Amino acid sequence: MNTAGYKQHISSQFNAELEDVRQRVLAMGGLVEQQIVDATRALMDSDSDLSEQVIRNEHKVNQLEVFIDEECSHILARRQPTASDLRLVYAVIKTITDLERIGDEAEKIARMADNLSKQERLAPGVLEIHHLSKSVTQMVHDALDGFARMDVDTALAVAREDELIDREYEALMRQCITFMMEDPRTIRRVMDIIWSVRALERIGDHAKNIAEYVIYFVKGKDVRHLSIESMEREVKGG
Amino acid sequence: MNTDPNPAAPISTQLATAAEVPADEIALEVERLNLHYGDTQALRNISMRIPRQRVTAFIGPSGCGKTTLLRAFNRLNDLIDGCRTEGEIRLYGKNIYDRDVDPALLRRRIGMVFQKPNPFPKSIYENVVYGLRLSGVRKRRELDEIVEWALKSAALLDEVKDRLDDSALGLSGGQQQRLIIARAIAIQPDVILLDEPCSSLDPISTLKVEELIQELKSRYTIAIVTHNMQQAARVSDFTAFMYGGELAEFDRTGRIFTKPSMKRTEDYITGRYG
Amino acid sequence: MRATAAQSQESGRALVGGAGSRLDRYLRSGEPYIWATAAAISLAFLITAGLLLLLVSRGLPHFWPAELVQAVYAVPGQAPQPLLVEIRDHEAVTTRRLQDAGLPVAATQPSYERLLVKTGNRELGGVDFRYLLADWLQQRSLPADASVFERLEWGNFHGYVLALKRDGQVVASGEQAWVEYQALQQRIDALRAQRRALEKGAIASVNGQLERLRLAMRHLELEGRTAQDSPGAFAPLMQRREQQQAQYQSLRAQLAALDAEMARETLLVRAVSGQQRELPLATLLRGYRPNGMSFTGKLRFLGAKLVEFVSTEPRESNTEGGIFPAIFGTVLMVILMSVIVTPFGILAALYLHEYARQGALTRTIRIAVNNLAGVPSIVFGMFGLGFFVYFVGGQLDQWFYREGLPSPTFGTPGILWASLTLALLTLPVVIVATEEGLSRIPGSLREASMALGATQAETLLKIVLPIASPAMMTGLILAVARAAGEVAPLMLVGVIKLAPTLPIDGSFPFLHLERKFMHLGFHIYDVGFQSPNVEAARPLVYATSLLLVAVILSLNLAAIAVRSRLRERFRMLDH
Repeated sequence: MNTAGYKQHISSQFNAELEDVRQRVLAMGGLVEQQIVDATRALMDSDSDLSEQVIRNEHKVNQLEVFIDEECSHILARRQPTASDLRLVYAVIKTITDLERIGDEAEKIARMADNLSKQERLAPGVLEIHHLSKSVTQMVHDALDGFARMDVDTALAVAREDELIDREYEALMRQCITFMMEDPRTIRRVMDIIWSVRALERIGDHAKNIAEYVIYFVKGKDVRHLSIESMEREVKGG
Repeated sequence: MNTDPNPAAPISTQLATAAEVPADEIALEVERLNLHYGDTQALRNISMRIPRQRVTAFIGPSGCGKTTLLRAFNRLNDLIDGCRTEGEIRLYGKNIYDRDVDPALLRRRIGMVFQKPNPFPKSIYENVVYGLRLSGVRKRRELDEIVEWALKSAALLDEVKDRLDDSALGLSGGQQQRLIIARAIAIQPDVILLDEPCSSLDPISTLKVEELIQELKSRYTIAIVTHNMQQAARVSDFTAFMYGGELAEFDRTGRIFTKPSMKRTEDYITGRYG
Repeated sequence: MRATAAQSQESGRALVGGAGSRLDRYLRSGEPYIWATAAAISLAFLITAGLLLLLVSRGLPHFWPAELVQAVYAVPGQAPQPLLVEIRDHEAVTTRRLQDAGLPVAATQPSYERLLVKTGNRELGGVDFRYLLADWLQQRSLPADASVFERLEWGNFHGYVLALKRDGQVVASGEQAWVEYQALQQRIDALRAQRRALEKGAIASVNGQLERLRLAMRHLELEGRTAQDSPGAFAPLMQRREQQQAQYQSLRAQLAALDAEMARETLLVRAVSGQQRELPLATLLRGYRPNGMSFTGKLRFLGAKLVEFVSTEPRESNTEGGIFPAIFGTVLMVILMSVIVTPFGILAALYLHEYARQGALTRTIRIAVNNLAGVPSIVFGMFGLGFFVYFVGGQLDQWFYREGLPSPTFGTPGILWASLTLALLTLPVVIVATEEGLSRIPGSLREASMALGATQAETLLKIVLPIASPAMMTGLILAVARAAGEVAPLMLVGVIKLAPTLPIDGSFPFLHLERKFMHLGFHIYDVGFQSPNVEAARPLVYATSLLLVAVILSLNLAAIAVRSRLRERFRMLDH
């Protein structure tokens, strides 16, 4: 499927509208990506200024979601898109919902970072989060890249990545429980860490969703709720 | 993401492609149909199976042969000088181009509704009974009953029942087109061909006709040619996309309008430069 | 901002001025052309109205009772002459011309008024009309008892009633005679009608029977049989001939009795010159005193004369009486022509338009048909005479009417051949109009009919023909208009100046297609240019022309009425 196919409409206005939506989704994605990066940095550096900035920026994400939603409903009403156009608009609507959730999760992490920065001591496990946060950030980045280029292979890679994230999440959880058993005084702080880890894991799931929408847009196939193997089969098979 | 417009339909329409419709649910079967007007070829090697009691829409750019194909189903092309048809069209297994088929009798089994409403300059009643009189129905009571039934089926009875003897030309465009449909179903055909039936109607009349098509589907096999893709998407179970005299793609409507398999179909229905 | 305002002001001014001179603008406005079109239509209207006005003003006075002027005509050097005349016309004539004509006029004035007067009393003076110089017509008066008598022969009589005689005895005299005459005239009219009915009815029927019997016997003879060979075949015919002849004799006797009854009374009258004449009442049609008539009386007289004009047969070589046979012949011929040309033309157009493959051949035929409309009508007359009358008619006589030979039955001009010739003449009009109508029927209607299972023939009958019927009527209207006004070809194929019988009468087979007939157009020609009595005929020419126009108009109106009803029924939405 030609990624720039929507630019060939006879109606140039339609072309412009679709391009505008796409650009805004990418802008929203960039913003969300930045939020994750900032939130995890704030967590690790106990930087309360940074975390407050993340919390402040959250409403920008929400605004973008509402704006793009409206634009999409206008396109549906006025253009009655079909086939790939329909799938694009559909994928955009789904994608921005997930992006908005990712934004919510980033805000959650920022709040945890804010809590932790008020403690005198560094919470155990913060450093362990570092790796997970990097992976998740990369995954969101890849998902958005896949969206930008409408690239199925990138999208598949993101879906595959999600399994690693899940495994890392399991390991982190076990580690946190160990911390709490070793020193019950840390429970309060470790709980905050656990919430953050949980949020990162959710971000991974949302990124995977976005990757699935990309596959739906390009291939016209619904690959949600499939195992990664059958997903690959579907994509390659058709 | 189930895009089938009619989830309660029998199994056959749920199949992946129209080619897999079982033989006993086929109304019209086209096989290697070629049609020439003089030196120009209007239809090229068309093979398809039109399922029974379903709405099949034909879409495609102007001059792609969709109306010609529709008119091949009731041999209306025969009236044009220099028109040659090769291949077969089977109506319930019988090739309608066989030498022993009487076109007039064939046309009594395949009704047709045209692009522009074309009522005869006669009364509403006489318009509806025109085909019946041709097939020899004489009894006034029988005619009355069929007129009432046909007008009711065409959702027109309430609007015209007090003025059946008035000229049909006094009706509005939408009413006229429904009268034409009543006229077509009065002879109780197996198949109804609709050639852009709403192209000269206002949106509300169009919706009424579309609603009527949905209701008639349970009794008749319907083939509709339309330039309005939204209309094809709304009313049909299957959609055939024609291009340059060929059948480019034929599939369930839900599929054609979400994920057509041909680039050309995609370009046409999304309004791109082909 | 200011620049834009200036600009828009500029373009606003451009609307006001307009380019070019005043004349240029006037021409471009289109007004001259509107005036030209209006002038054209007004001219056409004026010409038509003028024509009708001329016909009415010249035709109607003929039927108006003119006053009888009694006067003395004194030509210098000659004995004065008493006259009782109707003044019909007057004109100025130069003295020179009068002198050239040998009249003793003085050259003191450049011109003299000359009168055209109707003198009547042809058996006395020899002429009906005279030119008189107004100056010499002296002592004019309008005596109330001056009477005009219309007679079967010798034209009108102008004079004074002296007495009424019955069987040679005077029964009334003076004014009493006039009163009694008025009553008797009605009885005479009734008797004359009775006599006419007898002649045209029973006697004509007996004569027809006798003619048929003669032909039947001739037929037997042509088969080689004689009365001696096969008395079985001849005897019943002979017997029937005897019966018919006996009946004929008795009818003759009835006729003679009627004649005797009518011949009983005579009217003794005196001309102004003093001569007395006895006028048998049987020869009188009408007697009136124009000088004593009131205006309403004159109007009533005019009405009666007009009724007589359109309902009776002509007399005195078409200069008197009515023109009923000519009206009847014209209308019947046009109807026959329509009956022939309509199906023929429609069928031809149907084939040409619906069935024939459109190609070089059909194009050629179409051109030929159109050109046929441009062929001079006299050529059609020649063709009708050569083909229909001599060839077809001759053959018909050979095959079916041998017993009538050598006198031809169909091998001579007659109303059938005239109708056929005119049908041929008007065929292109009907074909073209019908084709026009057929091509205006939208193809979608034919397709709709076919799509409902109709064959092409059913579609033609049920859809195409009814919708095209107004166009066919248009063709017929044009055909009627052309046929009714046509004279030249008819002179060759069936019209004569005086037909003894109508083409339709009470004897079998009622419609006699082989008979010759009278025609208004030819009647005009005959009366106007072939009449021995030119002065009497002139107003008749106008009156007959008016009638011809009226007949064509009413034929057309009838067809138009039919067409508009058809149009209403098969009105199309877009056409």
